[in-house]
Amino acid sequence: MIDDESSDSRTATGKLPSDRRLDGRRMGERTTSGVRAAIRDELATEPADAETNDQPVIQLDHVSLAFDEPVLEDVSFEARKGETLCIVGESGTGKSTALKLILRLLVPEKGSVCIGGKEITGLSFEEALEIRQQMGMVFQGAALFDSMSVFENVAYPLREHTTMNEDEIEQRVREKLQFVDLEPDKVMEQLPAELSGGMRKRVGIARGMANNAEIMLYDEPTSGLDPLTTGTITRLLLKLQRELGVTSVVVSHDIRSVFRMATRIAVLYEHHIVFFGTPEEMAGSDDEYIRTFLGGS
Amino acid sequence: MPAAAPAVPSRTPSHWERFVAASKSRVRNVQDYFALAGRGLGFIFVRPFYGQDWVQQMDEIGVKSLGIVLLTGFFTGMVLALQSSVQLQTFGATMYIGRLVSASMIRELGPVLAGLMVAGRVGSGIAAQLGSMRVTEQIDALNTLGTDPIKKLVTPRVLAALVMLPVLTIINDFIGILGGNLISSAMVGVPTSLYWRTVWDQIANDGFTLRVIPIDFVQGITKPFVFGGIISITACYFGLNTTGGTEGVGQSTTRTVVVSSILILIIDYFLTQILLSVLGP
Ligand SMILES: Nc1ncnc2c1ncn2[C@@H]1O[C@H](COP(=O)(O)OP(=O)(O)OP(=O)(O)O)[C@@H](O)[C@H]1O
Ligand SMILES: [Mg+2]
Repeated sequence: MIDDESSDSRTATGKLPSDRRLDGRRMGERTTSGVRAAIRDELATEPADAETNDQPVIQLDHVSLAFDEPVLEDVSFEARKGETLCIVGESGTGKSTALKLILRLLVPEKGSVCIGGKEITGLSFEEALEIRQQMGMVFQGAALFDSMSVFENVAYPLREHTTMNEDEIEQRVREKLQFVDLEPDKVMEQLPAELSGGMRKRVGIARGMANNAEIMLYDEPTSGLDPLTTGTITRLLLKLQRELGVTSVVVSHDIRSVFRMATRIAVLYEHHIVFFGTPEEMAGSDDEYIRTFLGGS
Repeated sequence: MPAAAPAVPSRTPSHWERFVAASKSRVRNVQDYFALAGRGLGFIFVRPFYGQDWVQQMDEIGVKSLGIVLLTGFFTGMVLALQSSVQLQTFGATMYIGRLVSASMIRELGPVLAGLMVAGRVGSGIAAQLGSMRVTEQIDALNTLGTDPIKKLVTPRVLAALVMLPVLTIINDFIGILGGNLISSAMVGVPTSLYWRTVWDQIANDGFTLRVIPIDFVQGITKPFVFGGIISITACYFGLNTTGGTEGVGQSTTRTVVVSSILILIIDYFLTQILLSVLGP
């Protein structure tokens, strides 16, 4: 079900006109029509600036997994370096499960999962911990440690795995919090329970990015956020992708932001991947389910 | 579990099949329990040490349980003295009341009651905390950030319980004996000095040297140590294996208290038997 040729069509062109769309848009410009125009813009230009090499960074190959009932059946997709792969699909189709397979929080019953060309299904627990350090994950419900302050949450991956000193850690935490539009001085000492849902989500993103992982996984980073913040976060993901060449997998319900940032899209439906290709291909698809999916969002 | 669509039309499993499946999952659960115990204990000696978590758990398990342990210990000692006095009076042997109270407290009631109280207070707390961490994906997040949740969460709790339960039990014993003292001097008419002398006779009859560690003392320390392990591991096991949202957290909490209380009472019997046969009465 993988459409292999499709992936290259998008990287042929591809230089970004300027950075204006990343940072240039400030509060005043964030009117609805402005955003809409920007999205049209963005769709017209090529979002990816990826130097795609052939080796997929993330690859799921004919993966099947069942809990009490089958969740994923014969699922294959891949993401190359610098790509942003978006996974869309109805609720409960196994999108979060797919991310957990990539993190090896779950092991498939059949098929293989490769990260950086290395098969991870057979790894020991300790080896899996190593592999996970290359990845940053933003959980659907933020999953902040509620016994720790915001600062300690974002600093956690740094304390665990780097030799950074206190000053460097604080600097990094501030930088990441600013990145997600939070005021470090205001929120750093607060506990997750004292934050709003959207703020928690953004702290979750900051923590996921804290150790500058090369692979970022986002589980519905924008669900439950207002359109402005959604826009900010979408821009932020684009920025990571373009400036740092981060490979991302984004699970999202927000089809607009998917079209803005995806280099390829995978659609999950009834345990299977029913579509895997570029946004253009998706927009031009005749498949009835894809059409209703696009129309219904 | 086959992932492909079943070729044979599905039918409801027979009673026997269901029984077999249930037994298998029971056995697997027990295996998991011991695996968790092994890893949780094994990591005590493996870096990185989460010392801060350990200290915090010592506070949580030990210091914060002090109140209920003092209260239960005191009243248990008083009621023990009251009940024994009735029995002893019929033989005219009320002067031995100190022996009776201290033996009962140190050998049985101190460890068991402290264990049950801690199972209710701390075990349920641990299960609820780890359970909600599980259902809000915080355990997954720990894994993702490269931390072994067993090392970070289970080991500090087990270690803290292993240390703190004997401490709590000793305090419990002492307060219980003190409560007995109060009753026997106020209501039975046994003077305090005589009371404490008989207590001492009971605890350290043959002296207290490294060669002769009194049986009461051995029992009184071994039991809470084992109970501490049972409570913390049971709570961590049910907490970490929570499924089904907040409702699941409630179930894990209940199960923890029920299972660890039952285990305490059962293992108390066998432990007593073993200790008596090894060390003599
Ligand atoms: N730990 C688990 N045990 C049993 N079943 C599970 C478990 N995790 C997920 N499932 C089941 O797997 C299916 C897919 O779950 P998943 O969380 O991946 O869905 P999703 O696509 O992320 O949905 P949503 O968009 O609502 O987040 C669901 O039917 C769910 O009930
Ligand atoms: Mg999900």
